[in-house]
Amino acid sequence: MNAVWPIATVVVKELYRRKDFYVLFVLTALITLLMGSVTFFHDDRIARYLKELCLLLIWVSTLVIAITATARQLPAEREQRTILPLLAKPVSRGEVVVGKFLGCWLACGVALVVFYLFFGVVSATREHAWPLTNYFQALWLQWCMLAIVVAMSLAGSLVFAAPSSNATIVFLVASAILLVGRHLNTVALTLPEPAQTLVYALYFALPHLELFDLRDLLVHDWAPIAWWAWAAATLYALAYTWVFLLVAWLSFRRRPLV
Amino acid sequence: MDPILNIDNLRVEYRNRELGQGVTVALADLSLRVNAGEVFGFLGPNGAGKTTTIQVLLGFVQPTRGSAQLFGVDVREPTARQRLGYLPELTYYYKFLSAEELLRFYARLFRLARGEAERRIDAILKLVELESARRRPIKTYSKGMQQRVGLAQALINNPDLLILDEPTSGLDPLGRMKVREIIDRLRGEGKTVFFSSHELGEVETACDRVAILHQGQLKVVGPVAALVREHQASLEQVFLRMIGYPPTPTPA
Amino acid sequence: MPSPYLVLVFLLTVCVSLATWLQPHYLAWGGSRTGDGGLLATLLGESRRLFAAQFFFKADAYFHSGFYPTIFDNQIVEKELHMSEESEAARTPRPPEAEARTTQWSPGEDYGFLGSPKDWLDRFSRNFFPSRHTHLEQKSEAREILPWLRLSTWLDPHRVESYTVAAFWLRTRLGRPELAAQLLHEGWRANPDSYEILLALGRIDEENRHDPVRAHNLYALALRKWHRQQDGNAEPDLYTYRELLGHLVLVDEKQGDWAEAVQYLTLLKKISPNPAAIQRQIDEARAKLTPAPGPAPGPP
Ligand SMILES: Nc1ncnc2c1ncn2[C@@H]1O[C@H](COP(=O)(O)OP(=O)(O)O)[C@@H](O)[C@H]1O
Ligand SMILES: [Mg+2]
Repeated sequence: MNAVWPIATVVVKELYRRKDFYVLFVLTALITLLMGSVTFFHDDRIARYLKELCLLLIWVSTLVIAITATARQLPAEREQRTILPLLAKPVSRGEVVVGKFLGCWLACGVALVVFYLFFGVVSATREHAWPLTNYFQALWLQWCMLAIVVAMSLAGSLVFAAPSSNATIVFLVASAILLVGRHLNTVALTLPEPAQTLVYALYFALPHLELFDLRDLLVHDWAPIAWWAWAAATLYALAYTWVFLLVAWLSFRRRPLV
Repeated sequence: MDPILNIDNLRVEYRNRELGQGVTVALADLSLRVNAGEVFGFLGPNGAGKTTTIQVLLGFVQPTRGSAQLFGVDVREPTARQRLGYLPELTYYYKFLSAEELLRFYARLFRLARGEAERRIDAILKLVELESARRRPIKTYSKGMQQRVGLAQALINNPDLLILDEPTSGLDPLGRMKVREIIDRLRGEGKTVFFSSHELGEVETACDRVAILHQGQLKVVGPVAALVREHQASLEQVFLRMIGYPPTPTPA
Repeated sequence: MPSPYLVLVFLLTVCVSLATWLQPHYLAWGGSRTGDGGLLATLLGESRRLFAAQFFFKADAYFHSGFYPTIFDNQIVEKELHMSEESEAARTPRPPEAEARTTQWSPGEDYGFLGSPKDWLDRFSRNFFPSRHTHLEQKSEAREILPWLRLSTWLDPHRVESYTVAAFWLRTRLGRPELAAQLLHEGWRANPDSYEILLALGRIDEENRHDPVRAHNLYALALRKWHRQQDGNAEPDLYTYRELLGHLVLVDEKQGDWAEAVQYLTLLKKISPNPAAIQRQIDEARAKLTPAPGPAPGPP
């Protein structure tokens, strides 16, 4: 696993030399500040709607960054044939998969820290508070969620042929899980028998990305979540990430490169 | 003495994607050995299977049958490539990195110590004459410069075996000369060079031994001088005869 | 190269936020054009009602600190949104929930519409979102729901609830009755026939400006409008009717107009779930009425 770290750093370098992140960050900041400049009933301490908007933009931005950045990694390597000199080095394909994953994930982590700093400053100007534990938990869990998404995109980029269709599929799947994942059990219970078991099975098999969404707790100043739940969610993310990386490795292991 | 590069009964079939099904046999039972210190020319017309052979040696393509070793290690093991340098037929490098960063990245993959890596990067950039452009992103390089980056990355680990896939195709005369110079220099250092080509002039002067491949089959192997003597013809005539040109049956 | 989703999402957000940002300037510049919904509404076209409803729900979610039902939570959401009933809540004291907000989740709490967990995953997931029924406890937090209601009024000026609920919060928790009155007047201009807005305006006069005469006039007007709209209705809005009558009785009592109070109480008794109590009130009012000849000040 010696090659993992160098590969990851090259990925991070690439992502930060492209403009995507800056564009998204500037847009997020701009929209948030624009909305922040509206005063409702001459009260400048109203904070939650702004926090909610800012977090929504952060979630969309980082999801887009994670998926589009990861989905093109391996296809671009193959299209531009940079994979050939890379794999001609004493590097295994597993190391390439893990390195690409790690690079994308770390880049997302850096992006998250920048976004959350901005969020922290925005909400501090309104609420005059720095609930650091809450911020840490929210950032960490969102990062864990992005690990699953990144691994999923990486596996998808090997399973689906075109990188754009892969990005679309992963984006749709991730959004669908975030929106309805939590309710699939409720839906299942309303269905007749064969469908019920199927939907319930899907409910248990899906990676529940919405678990990692602490936005509402953050917006409404709830207390931090229990640390055991935080740790369990981290392990949950780890398990799914591992599964998707395994899928990626299995489909990449024997594949002809050209 | 163990060969540095060993190919045993290698067969590679490509499944045809078209409706007709069936397979293309890119390599049919190829066996080949290259010894340490040799400069070996791997000849064949377009489509003979040269690139396929090299891709098996690098683990890019799984053989249908047979096996191959580098330094006595199966090519499926990444460690087989520790002392190897490879220049692809056609390639591009990470455009967003500079030559220096690219070489540093590859040096890390070979686990070179930092100080040594920097020394080698300086030396190699001098060798391929990219010193003045070393900090510019590769995307600003001309085509010739990009090819020289390719050569530089193949040499970064001071390899004992260098595999070059048509290293001179698409180069201008100056570029070819540079490649030949480098091959000579490596021979002087006692390195092994395995390169494919269909340009016979340079092969004749540069190689100790050659192999001629045609339609996936090995036609002949041996020192250039011995082949010329044996067939009573120039290398070019031998080559043409081996690939069935002129299409009249050749006398034994 | 940013992806197409991003472009879409951001364009939409840019539009809405730009419009939101421009809205106040536009209003200030164009005078009172709230009748047609202003710039924001024009920009969003017909979908604005959907957005307005969405933001109104959002306000309710904020009232519950993020604890809100989705379309999947099959338990029917009370038609009358909870937060607008807070006026009732002022009379019926709630169990103190303040400490629940700082303690961690434990079984047996108030799950509300969520019901008890259906499986382990469900149980586990409730650690990660507001899964307990709470209400805004600190006074200052009430301000947080206002932006959504304000957006709702901009998007759909005919959504009367947005005005009345926002005004309620401004008047009670935030102690800004003048802002509430201003907002209600804006709503009245857009909805001249709304008895709800008149009721809310009347309550500002009654409770904050202590002007029972003006309040009485507003209530009386509201009652006439109520009759015009709800008479002959199969399911009339009795909730507001009861409130109107109740407040009319209160201002009548304040002004000592016991005769009229008895009239309204009689009407109230017909629809009250507790007619006996109303009868007692009627009797009390009558008692004050009979020795009246002395100092009975009639309404002007
Ligand atoms: N990826 C592939 N899929 C199918 N056929 C291939 C593929 N790569 C090479 N071939 C076929 O295998 C044969 C050998 O190709 P190659 O090794 O590239 O030849 P050379 O390098 O000697 O010109 C050719 O007939 C070529 O068409
Ligand atoms: Mg070739």
